[in-house]
Amino acid sequence: MTATEPAQVKRDRDEVFVEFTKSICPVCKVVVDGQVNIRADKVYLRKRCKEHGWFEALVYGDAQMYLESARFNKPGTIPLTFQTEVKDGCPSDCGLCPEHKQHACLGLIEVNTGCNLDCPICFADSGHQPDGYSITLEQCEAMLDVFVASEGEAEVVMFSGGEPTIHKDILAFIDAAQARPIKAVNVNTNGLRLASDKRFAAEVGRRNVPGRPVNIYLQFDGFDERTHREIRGRDLRAIKSRALDNCAEVGLTVTLVAAVEKDLNIHELGDIIEFGITHPAVRSVSFQPVTHSGRHIEFDPLTRLTNSDIIHAIAAQRPQWFQASDFFPVPCCFPTCRSITYLLTEGTPGQPDFGLVPIPRLLNVADYLDYVTNRVAPDPAVREALEKLWSASASMGTDSTSAKLATAAAALDCADACGVNLPEAIANLTDQAFMIVIQDFLDPYTLNVKQLMKCCVMEITPDGRLIPFCAYNSVGYREQVRAQMSGVAIADVVPNAAALQPILTLSPYGSKIAAADGHQDRKPVAYDATNVGDRAVDR
Amino acid sequence: MTTAPLTPDAVKACCAAAYGSDLVSLLLGDAYHPGGLALTRELAGALSLRPADRVLDVACGRGTTALLLAQEYGARVEGVDLAAANVAVAKDLAEAAGTAAQLSFSIGDAEALPYPDALFDAVICECAFCTFPAKPTAAAELTRVLRRGGRIGITDVVAEPSRLPRELTGLTAWVACVADARPLDEYAALLTDAGLRVTRTGQHNDAMSRMIDQLEARLGVLRMTARARVESLGMDFSKAPAMLAAARTAVADGVLGYAMVIAEKRQ
Repeated sequence: MTATEPAQVKRDRDEVFVEFTKSICPVCKVVVDGQVNIRADKVYLRKRCKEHGWFEALVYGDAQMYLESARFNKPGTIPLTFQTEVKDGCPSDCGLCPEHKQHACLGLIEVNTGCNLDCPICFADSGHQPDGYSITLEQCEAMLDVFVASEGEAEVVMFSGGEPTIHKDILAFIDAAQARPIKAVNVNTNGLRLASDKRFAAEVGRRNVPGRPVNIYLQFDGFDERTHREIRGRDLRAIKSRALDNCAEVGLTVTLVAAVEKDLNIHELGDIIEFGITHPAVRSVSFQPVTHSGRHIEFDPLTRLTNSDIIHAIAAQRPQWFQASDFFPVPCCFPTCRSITYLLTEGTPGQPDFGLVPIPRLLNVADYLDYVTNRVAPDPAVREALEKLWSASASMGTDSTSAKLATAAAALDCADACGVNLPEAIANLTDQAFMIVIQDFLDPYTLNVKQLMKCCVMEITPDGRLIPFCAYNSVGYREQVRAQMSGVAIADVVPNAAALQPILTLSPYGSKIAAADGHQDRKPVAYDATNVGDRAVDR
Repeated sequence: MTTAPLTPDAVKACCAAAYGSDLVSLLLGDAYHPGGLALTRELAGALSLRPADRVLDVACGRGTTALLLAQEYGARVEGVDLAAANVAVAKDLAEAAGTAAQLSFSIGDAEALPYPDALFDAVICECAFCTFPAKPTAAAELTRVLRRGGRIGITDVVAEPSRLPRELTGLTAWVACVADARPLDEYAALLTDAGLRVTRTGQHNDAMSRMIDQLEARLGVLRMTARARVESLGMDFSKAPAMLAAARTAVADGVLGYAMVIAEKRQ
C-alpha cells in the first residue's frame, strides 16, 4: 500500500441475519442449509446448492410483522400415532415422524390427478391427463382410518385433487368421512360440476347436516376477465356465479379461495371480500399467494407475494373496514404461515345500514394468543375458543365455530349494562360472522424446515402417511406418490423462476423440470452436511 | 375503562348525562384498560417488583392484573374494587388459578382505603384515577398505605379538557369517563403534593388510539344488535363517525392520550 491509496475500510453487511435453517435446492431437491436475513424491512431465505448455486426468495414482505408473529406460537399437540421413524431428519422422513411438532388440524385427500380444467396455475399439476391415477373407495377408507388413528377425533378432512367432484365415488367418500369421527368435510373444487349439475349439488347439500357439516372450498380468483384467463385459462365468471347460486339453493356454505398473483389480481381482494359478505352462501374467504410449486407462470422469487403483502393490500383497498392489525397469526402452525381475522357483519355492503366489525377490535386477542409473554391466561375458556378460531381447522358454518365465537364474546366484560347483554348479543350474531384467511404456502424456493416441522395441514397418502402439505408439494413427495400410484416415472418439478429459464424444460403436465444436461442419471452431488453421520471436520 | 370506582358522588361529578355509567360500561367494558396486559407488564417492570412484594391494586376490576402480578412476579396482591360483582369474579379467578394464597380481594373505596398505614411495597392503579372525584384525597390515601421507599404506578387517561373538540361532547357517555381526566403534569403534581417523588412519566397514546378503535367496534356491534335500546339511552349513531374522527384528531393533536406515572415515597 502506498501513501496515495486510501486505507481499506471494513463495511457492514446490508442485512440482519436472523435464522439458520434447512431447505432444499429447488432444482435437484437436495437438502441444503438455509439462512433467513432481513434486508430493507423484508425477510428473505437464502441457500446454496453445491451444484446449482445460490437461491434467494422473499418470505415475508414486512419484517416487523414477521418478528412480532413469533409470540403467537402455541405449543404443539402430539398426535396419537406416528407413521414413520426419524432416520435422515427433516424433510426426508415424512411423515409424520416423531420429531414433528404438531398434530394434523386438517387432513387432505387427493382423490385423483385428473381435472376438467387445465389451469396455467396448479400446484397439483393436474388436468386432462391420460396417465394419472384416482383412488378407490377402499383406499379412501384406509386413508381416513390413518387420519382417525392419528387424531382420535379429527377436525376437518378436505377432498381435493385433481378435481374431486369428477371422481365417480366422491359422494361415497364424503359418506365414508361422515361415518367416522371427523367433525367437518371440505370439498375443494373449481365449481364446474356444482354449476352444471344441480342434482349433484343437491346430493352434496343433503350431506351438510348439523354436527356433520360439508363446506365447499371454491376456487374463486376475482372478477376481471384477465384474472380468469391468466390463472385458469378460461373465463369462468358465469360458471362461478352459477356454482355459488346452486350452493346457496341447497344450503351449502362456501369458502371463496383466491390464488393471488402480483400484478394480476392483487387489486381484487377488497372486491372479493365485499362479494363474499354479500353472497348468501359465502361465509369465508381464503387468500393464497400463488404457490410456486407444480405448474405456474414465470415469476421472480425476490418479488413474490407474501402474507403481509396481502394484509396490507386488504387494509389499503377497504380502509373503512380494515387495519393490518385486525389480522392475527395462527398459533397452531408456524405463525408466519397463516393469518386470520373474523368479522361481524349486518346488512349488505353499499347499503346505508351496513355494519362491519372486525372481532379483534372488540377483544384484545394478543392477551390470549401471545404464548411467549403471557404466562397468565386471562380466561382459559376464552383462550381455548380463540385457539380454535385462529387455527387451520376453523371452518365457518360448523357448530363448533359458532360456539367458539359465542365463548369468545364472553370476554366482553359488560354483561347486562343498560339492559343490553353484549356477549349474548354477539353470540346471536355468530351466524353472521365471516372469516378471512391468508395463507402463504412454501414452495421449493421458500421452503424452511422450521415451518414444515410445525405444519398442521397434512396430505394423507394412499400408502398411509401424513405428509405436511408444503413438504408434499415442494420436496418431492408428490412426484413420489404419483409415480407409485400411476406407474409412470415422474421427474422432479422445478419452479418456473425467471432465473432458472435456461435450464428448464416443459414436463408432460405443463410444469417445468430440469432440462437434460447429459448427466441426468447422476445422483445429486451436493449432500447436506447435517444429520448424515459425517464428522464436522474431516481429518 | 374501569367504571367500578364511580361512587354515586363520582357519577354526579363527572356524568352530566342521565344515563351515566351503564352506557360507559356497555361501550368500554368493566375491566378493560388501554394497553392491555402488555402495558400492565410495563407498569410492573417500572415498579421493579420482587417476589413476595406486597402490592395493592386499586380499582382492581376482575383481578386480571392481580393474577398477572402474582404469577409472573411472585407478588402478594390485594385487590380493592368498589363493585362487589368484580370482587366476586376476581376471587373465583384466583381460586381457579390456584393462586388464592397470594391473592385477596376486598370491596372498598379508593378515597377511604380499608388498610393500615405503610402496609404495601407497591400500589398500582390502572385507568381509574381519572374517575376519582376527590383526586387529592385519593392520592393521599394511596400514599398513606405505601411504605417508605415504596412505589406507586398509575396508568391513566390524560386530557386537556379545555381543548377537547366540541364533537366529543356528543359522545357524552364516553366523555363522562374522560371528563375528569387531567393533563399528565397535573397527575404528577397531585402525587407530588401527596408527598411522593415522581421518578418517571411516559406517554402511551397508541393505547388510547386502540381504545377508540374498540369504542368504534362496540358502537358497531350495538348498532347491529340493540339499536333501539341504545338510541333510547341517548346515543345518536349517525353522529358516531364524526365523534370518533374528532377523538382520533384529539389524540393526534396531543389533547387526549394515555400515560404512565411512577412515583416513590421518600425514605
